[in-house]
Amino acid sequence: MLQRLYVHNFRCLENFELTLKDLPSSLLIGKNGAGKSTIAFALEMFQSIGRGINRVGQLIQTKDFNRGRSNVPIRFEIEVLLKNQLYKYVLALALSDNFKEILVLEEQLLVAGSPVYLREAAQLKLYSNNIQSQTPQGKRMALFSNQFPLNSQLMSEFQVDLHLVALPLIQVQSEEDPLYIFKNWLSRMIILAPIPSLMTGESSGETLEPKRDGSNFGEWFSGLLSRYPAAYTQADRYLREVMPDIEDFQNEKIGKDAKNMIVRFAANNAEFSVDFKDLSDGEKCFFLCAVVLAANKYYSPFCFWDEPDNYLSLSEVGHFITTLRRSFKSSGQILVTSHNEEAIRKFSDENTFILDRKSHLEPTLIRLLSEIETSVKGDIVKSLILGDIKL
Amino acid sequence: MSVNRHQKHLLVLPEDKANRQIANGFLLELSLNSRAVQVLQFAGGWGNVIQEFLHDYVPTMRKYPQTMIALLIDFDDYKPNFSSNEDRLNYIKSQIPDDLEEKVFILGSRTSPEKLKTAMNNKSFEAIGESLAKDCAENTNETWGHDHLKHNDNELKRMISSVKPFLFTDY
Repeated sequence: MLQRLYVHNFRCLENFELTLKDLPSSLLIGKNGAGKSTIAFALEMFQSIGRGINRVGQLIQTKDFNRGRSNVPIRFEIEVLLKNQLYKYVLALALSDNFKEILVLEEQLLVAGSPVYLREAAQLKLYSNNIQSQTPQGKRMALFSNQFPLNSQLMSEFQVDLHLVALPLIQVQSEEDPLYIFKNWLSRMIILAPIPSLMTGESSGETLEPKRDGSNFGEWFSGLLSRYPAAYTQADRYLREVMPDIEDFQNEKIGKDAKNMIVRFAANNAEFSVDFKDLSDGEKCFFLCAVVLAANKYYSPFCFWDEPDNYLSLSEVGHFITTLRRSFKSSGQILVTSHNEEAIRKFSDENTFILDRKSHLEPTLIRLLSEIETSVKGDIVKSLILGDIKL
Repeated sequence: MSVNRHQKHLLVLPEDKANRQIANGFLLELSLNSRAVQVLQFAGGWGNVIQEFLHDYVPTMRKYPQTMIALLIDFDDYKPNFSSNEDRLNYIKSQIPDDLEEKVFILGSRTSPEKLKTAMNNKSFEAIGESLAKDCAENTNETWGHDHLKHNDNELKRMISSVKPFLFTDY
């Protein structure tokens, strides 16, 4: 579970801290330009690192420095609770002396306060975070930190190209290796701001790494079903709730490695098949929700969904949000943004964050709704409509 | 699919934001069929709950006879002997048309949700709502039996017997 995100000097986020401890589902609200989507970009940067992108130039650009303040490093910190251990990853980036390239200034991964590796500029120190013990058979066995207290010992020291983030480069030892656990969590983060017209249902492979715009939805669904076949039942159950006349959905082969999703409906003894790409935008979002619910059941990811109420009818919005909140109540974690009053009303003061920015020259501020007084007593939606929520 | 107006369903009309948040928490109980319940925008005071109910929901309940409604109000009972909550309950009941009285349930904290929250060690409204739903699902009385809530007993029994068969999946 994501506990804390800290971002400094990145776009409108300056000394910005988002604390999500003990919040399985939460909401970000605020005016356009307040910084909601920038939080998604910051999270997406971590996700990209988890997915193996290590060139700094592919993660951050010089325009990302807050108001061109390139003499101050951009700093990202993320703290995540995984298997009862607190993982902390820090990445600080700075512009080179000739102001042409962004370089890694500092990078570190800590588990329960002990370093997995520490890096300053090019110099990286890798620590052994396991306890070596002897089995009865005389074989050496590595027991990792999620089971035993850490005992960090410097294992090796080497140089890393300043243009590269080290996390994707370090070889993991096993699926119990803290490096694997953390990278896997980052890579499987779900960050969505779907554009239904790009969701075609066609696929030429399988993945558990959905794209932000939903354009590889077919690959994601295929990857989920391939890895967790029972996910079909989970998705099917939700889809029948929202589209009672759905019969089934199938991935039909349309080429050597290509598939296309077909959705069949049945009512009054008649059947009707539709290509996934021809479904309405809202119906495509139902499918996306079905896959998010199934993914959460099987691998409990962190999910950021930018305006999940987009494309939905008013009668659906509340149920859609409640369904997501219920799913993530006991596993995984979801953070959504919204401008929709019905969606906003499905959250409460303890899990609604207000974002505010006085002007484009000032940074994003954030507070929990329970910590502020709204001008229209009790009704956050009225205050939002009047535009008078100020931090 | 939104609430099916042709099947049994429950509307929840809260008095204020605090009651709405309790209702939000109620919906988070996993054994609850969340598609058979719709939490409405809060009315802004118990008087407005009555007005909104009479003006907007009496006609719709007659049009869709499978509709039931829970009015979540504050009883604002601050008298030392806690005697006025019955006055308010009886007053509201007197406003309900005879043909709908079996489908209308009036529930709420004896004083206010804020007082209830304080009395429950500052548990969030959502968490209180979840506990209330859990009580309903598991036939327990832990939260409903709280000093600030136990006066709801008769209305609660009446509501549970009417809504539990369609509202809780494991019933």
